[in-house]
Amino acid sequence: MSQADPFATLSAMTARYEGATALDDIDLSLPEGQIIAFCGPNGSGKSTALRVLRALHAPEAGAVEVAGRPIADWRPRDLAREIAMLSQSPSAPEDMSVRDLALLGRYAHRGRFSPVSQADRQAVERALQATNMSDLAERCLGQLSGGQVQRAWIAMVLAQDAPRIFLDEPTNHLDIAHALDILDLITGLNREDGRGFVIVLHDLNHAMRYADHVVLFDQGRIVRTGPTREVLTEERIRQVFDIDCRIVDLPGLDRPVVVPLSRGSDTMLACAAQ
Amino acid sequence: MSGPHLTRPGVPGTLAPRWRLPLLLMLLACGLVIATGLGTSFLSPTRVSAALIGAGSDMDEIIIWTLRLPRVALAVLAGMALALSGALMQRALRNPLAVPSILGVSDGAALGVVTFLYFFSNENNVLTVSIHWMPVAGVLGAIGLAAAIALLTAGDPRGRDPLRLILYGVALSALAKAAVVLMMILGPVYRAGQALRWLTGAVNAAHWSDVFVVAAGLALAVPVLLLLRLPMRQITLDPASARATGLGVEPTRAALLVLSVLLTALAVSQVGAIGFVGLIAPHAARIFHGQFSGGYLLSSAVMGGLLVLGADTLGRMALPPHELPAGAVTALLGTPVFLLLLLRRHHVTG
Repeated sequence: MSQADPFATLSAMTARYEGATALDDIDLSLPEGQIIAFCGPNGSGKSTALRVLRALHAPEAGAVEVAGRPIADWRPRDLAREIAMLSQSPSAPEDMSVRDLALLGRYAHRGRFSPVSQADRQAVERALQATNMSDLAERCLGQLSGGQVQRAWIAMVLAQDAPRIFLDEPTNHLDIAHALDILDLITGLNREDGRGFVIVLHDLNHAMRYADHVVLFDQGRIVRTGPTREVLTEERIRQVFDIDCRIVDLPGLDRPVVVPLSRGSDTMLACAAQ
Repeated sequence: MSGPHLTRPGVPGTLAPRWRLPLLLMLLACGLVIATGLGTSFLSPTRVSAALIGAGSDMDEIIIWTLRLPRVALAVLAGMALALSGALMQRALRNPLAVPSILGVSDGAALGVVTFLYFFSNENNVLTVSIHWMPVAGVLGAIGLAAAIALLTAGDPRGRDPLRLILYGVALSALAKAAVVLMMILGPVYRAGQALRWLTGAVNAAHWSDVFVVAAGLALAVPVLLLLRLPMRQITLDPASARATGLGVEPTRAALLVLSVLLTALAVSQVGAIGFVGLIAPHAARIFHGQFSGGYLLSSAVMGGLLVLGADTLGRMALPPHELPAGAVTALLGTPVFLLLLLRRHHVTG
């Protein structure tokens, strides 16, 4: 893993929604080429940080830079070629086919009048294969299950061929098998293609297992940022989420698991330790 | 998966996609010839075709080229403009039920026309200026009201989302409508009958000059539509996804709205406030053609042309010697057809 220059930084950044402060005077720099997880309770500001970094929400104060350039100086198409993003509740017409949706990911690469190019076609095919959607490519979104729709959207984001990808709760509508498929796919794309990911994750175990780097949010501030195991500690999880937990190594796994406990009880710990 | 094996939405039957547009164009050509032949003296399609290519009798050629063809052509072109306007508005607002009248275009045009009649007719029912200024008044009214709605939305402190645009549109349209009724009842409008006829929308008394105005407007719109081809597709995504894929959402939306308003104003200025076309024609095109197949806009336009042509032809043939205004026929026929399409669509998509 490279410790290169950060690809994005926030300095003294404050963001609000209709007057309510979502992020309060935060500083953050994101390392290049890693899988970065944004974790924290509901409403702690992780999605807002992602939206600000992707120029989807204008900050109230402070500076935002991507690749050393202020975010406001980026043209939409140029930024789209650098950073793709899947938002939390994306929507498209129900009569759009999966392939058409994936092709929309190519927008920043297409000229105004150019027909679909060979590169566009190949990127779409790769994305459909990676998400296991090739067989459903001609189906309309309205005919798919929630998990299939989510994978179709991920195919669109992958077809964008950006070196960095932001995902806001990508495993939201997925059952556990498909969630792991997606996270394994992300790991593969990171290790093989060197693509960087920033992912909002609710499940601390997903973060523990898949993230190289964690940014922990609480009430509009950043509690801690750094390598996963340094950030996710029993003490800090107790402080931020207000729950007791144990972080336990299991034989055969190279990363520990987080075992949440009901408050003030040690019964689950006893089970987990055996 | 045990789901239905549909590939594309709502496509009826087994007609291959590449035949859909040619079929529509053929229908339009047949409709043109038949509608031109219908009238007080019936001309067979053969005679019409002969006259169209300059091989008919002198009498036929006069009837067709000076009397009937301008009207038929105007109906088709105005229908095309209205349908395109609707298709653009629906994309801009991401709402398949959005129609240009939401932005007050029709009511604004009506207000312009009634104001014009209010100020420029005397006690003897005679206009004090040329009637050719009436369409100009209509266009000014349409653009004026749409601009007012746009300004209100742009200045809205709570953000410029499409819903607020629709709300401002509904409010100002209601205001314009009330003003029209008040002026017709209270004011010395001696031409209330003509105003009413215009408000319903009618194609009669068409001249080649009217046809050329609409044709020129449509021709100017074509390059803009070509420029907007990909953005129009991209904007069907939610704003965050559209932006993340590189679309400038607000400029695209503004361009689509402006073009939509101009196209409706263009049609309305020549044929009056024919309603429903902007809703029904794109909807029919989505069902018949699919909105993500190439040629959707052309398909919508042809549907709109067919619709207004059919409505005008029916209107002048149904109850002779009376002529029903095309706008009344599109509403009378359009509503049941629209309901039928909705039911059919439900049937197809389950």
